[in-house]
Amino acid sequence: MNCITRLVGTAAIACSLGAGAANAADLSFMSFTYAEEANKAIVQTTLDDFKKAENLAVEPLGFAWGDMQKNIFLRARSKTLPDIAQLSERWLPTFASLDNLVDLNTVYGKDKLEAAFAPDALAMGNINGKQLALPLLSGSIGMVANKEVLAKAGINDAPKTLDEFKAALVAVRDKVPNSVPYTMATKNNGSILIDFMVWNWVHGGRIIDDSGKVVVDSQQSRDALTFMVGLMKDRLAAPEIDRPDGRRLMGQGASAFYFDAPQTRTFLRDFSGKGEAFDVNVLPMPTPVLKAEDKPVSVQWGHLLVQFADGGKAKADDPADKFLTYLTSDKVQTDFPLKMSALPVTKSARDAVAGDAYLKNWSAATGDARRNEVGIWSNAAELTNVIGEEVQGALLGQKSADDAVKSMQARLTASMEKAKKSE
Amino acid sequence: MAVIENNVGAYPVSPHANRGGLKAGQSRMGLLLLLPAAIAFSAVILYPFLSALGLSLFEYTVEMMEPRYIGFENFAKIASDPDVWAAFWTTAVYVTLTTLGTLVAGLGWALIMNQPFAGRGVLRSLSLLPWVLPSTVSAFIWGWIFNSRYGVLNAFLMEFGIIDFPRAWLSTPEGAMLAVVLTKIWLSIPLFMSFFLAGLQNLDKEQIDAARVDGAGNWAVLRDHILPHLRPVLIIVVVLGVIGNLQQFDTIYALTGGGPVRATTVLSVEVYRRAFEQWDIGFASAVGVLWVASLLPPAFLYLRMLVKGN
Repeated sequence: MNCITRLVGTAAIACSLGAGAANAADLSFMSFTYAEEANKAIVQTTLDDFKKAENLAVEPLGFAWGDMQKNIFLRARSKTLPDIAQLSERWLPTFASLDNLVDLNTVYGKDKLEAAFAPDALAMGNINGKQLALPLLSGSIGMVANKEVLAKAGINDAPKTLDEFKAALVAVRDKVPNSVPYTMATKNNGSILIDFMVWNWVHGGRIIDDSGKVVVDSQQSRDALTFMVGLMKDRLAAPEIDRPDGRRLMGQGASAFYFDAPQTRTFLRDFSGKGEAFDVNVLPMPTPVLKAEDKPVSVQWGHLLVQFADGGKAKADDPADKFLTYLTSDKVQTDFPLKMSALPVTKSARDAVAGDAYLKNWSAATGDARRNEVGIWSNAAELTNVIGEEVQGALLGQKSADDAVKSMQARLTASMEKAKKSE
Repeated sequence: MAVIENNVGAYPVSPHANRGGLKAGQSRMGLLLLLPAAIAFSAVILYPFLSALGLSLFEYTVEMMEPRYIGFENFAKIASDPDVWAAFWTTAVYVTLTTLGTLVAGLGWALIMNQPFAGRGVLRSLSLLPWVLPSTVSAFIWGWIFNSRYGVLNAFLMEFGIIDFPRAWLSTPEGAMLAVVLTKIWLSIPLFMSFFLAGLQNLDKEQIDAARVDGAGNWAVLRDHILPHLRPVLIIVVVLGVIGNLQQFDTIYALTGGGPVRATTVLSVEVYRRAFEQWDIGFASAVGVLWVASLLPPAFLYLRMLVKGN
């Protein structure tokens, strides 16, 4: 009897402790920024300020950027989704079919959201008329140069055309020892996609048109891939390079150019070990164009916030929605995005930070960003893998650019047909 | 004798006596002791396996709210999917190279560690280091060794004038395969060495001495005496090696991610990619079922040897 009494007592204590733990946080927030050492403190400060403002505690769940989709996918299957999750803008279509994703138009009202948010930012979270995410910060993926490296190579002005760009790369290769002139992504399919997509646009090509038809089998796409292969052959780019490698090499003065989001400044401060003193070297520049009269291209980029709730239903005074409201308030939007070197997403916050020189330069350099033409499809993950594999195969000399483009067309077409059948 | 049996039968049985005899109590205790392990096995292996087996008969992608039964369609798709067949081939190459490599290196190292020399105990302990290190840590160490820009391997080869400029080892299919194979061999040497060392401890020294007196050289001693003596250990080690290498995932994924392109995409990586990069759970489960099927023959051999007490 004694034994049973003890067991029951222990179980009761365990239950009460468990309940206590569950009540410790009012909502959970899954974030990849929280998992980044350079940015963790910025997120934590925001969560602490929210607790002071609303007396609601947030449980942060940090996962690396590369693991976020997997975790959301698995949590959706095991019904343990967080209340709020941070997504890259290109992931939203993949999760759009989850039935507990909240249409935030039903919570805040479409008119109110349109009045508060910048249209380009709000559009990133809209799928088929449903506002499945609110933007947290925005910007574009464009070309960044290291002024110090350019100076060492004797380059005074950022190159404007592809010919000038190649000449600049050759100068860096020859005058800056042990450098990778352009840290083009040659590893990690997700990163390779961005580089290929941009150079494909520069050459006038498309991968998938607006109707979902795969159109990559074109002379323009062949030219783009041949251009990238040429950079590898001339040792102007290197194998085994992913975006984080590019950031590190750039921060260490061993690279002159690479593609990144405006957040690059925060990463470069960290990786250079010089903090804000490194800012003078960061030069956002228009992506070089094929012909001088062409318009520079860049890719739309942003971080989104999605809400998960039973049946996809939520109210504005729910703790999770109060958190969303707080994150998109002027108090946060005039501070948090700037610390992350990114653009705010609300109209009022953008007006308030219009004087920020770096963001102003960034916007001027990258111009109107285009929507990621692969990330908008529900099978984006598979499309990204196919493109990454084919481009990597060509870059590493395993197949010709022509074969890679043909194979890409066939595999992407099969994937799009499969996705249409599943819908 | 018959009288005694009759007398025993005539004695009244105590109401406290165990109906099944003394053995029955032991069996129940045995089952009870087995229960925690059985529960753990069911929860973390049996249930997920049966679940995957079931899912292999369904179409289940991230776009779908509920899985849709499609019978053996996923297996039919596998039959016509060159990527899966390539993964089978890559797995076969990887398992063969790692098992053979570890066998040779582990045996060689065990033979050295079996010789008497000063500091043998310390070296034997240090030999276990790769086994103690988490495999992903080992993968990152080897990743740095093979790194094209900062790698020790390139620095070493350039120092001795073997190559003129740094090579991107992990960016060629052969280099990447070599890297994952070497990493796994390095990780497995301690285990193989321990088996062989245990076997060598039982080797009759006098037999070796006699062979040497008869004029046998090192190779003859190894071929005619040591290897026949180690035969049972060799078989066990090969079977365990094949099973372990077929299951390998973490070092390959951490080192190459299955690339470049698909050069090191073994079945385990293929299952992961289909499930968590392409979000096709049904197809990934079907590939996983075939992967398990490929593990069955060596597992059967191993269990058979265990049961037979070999």
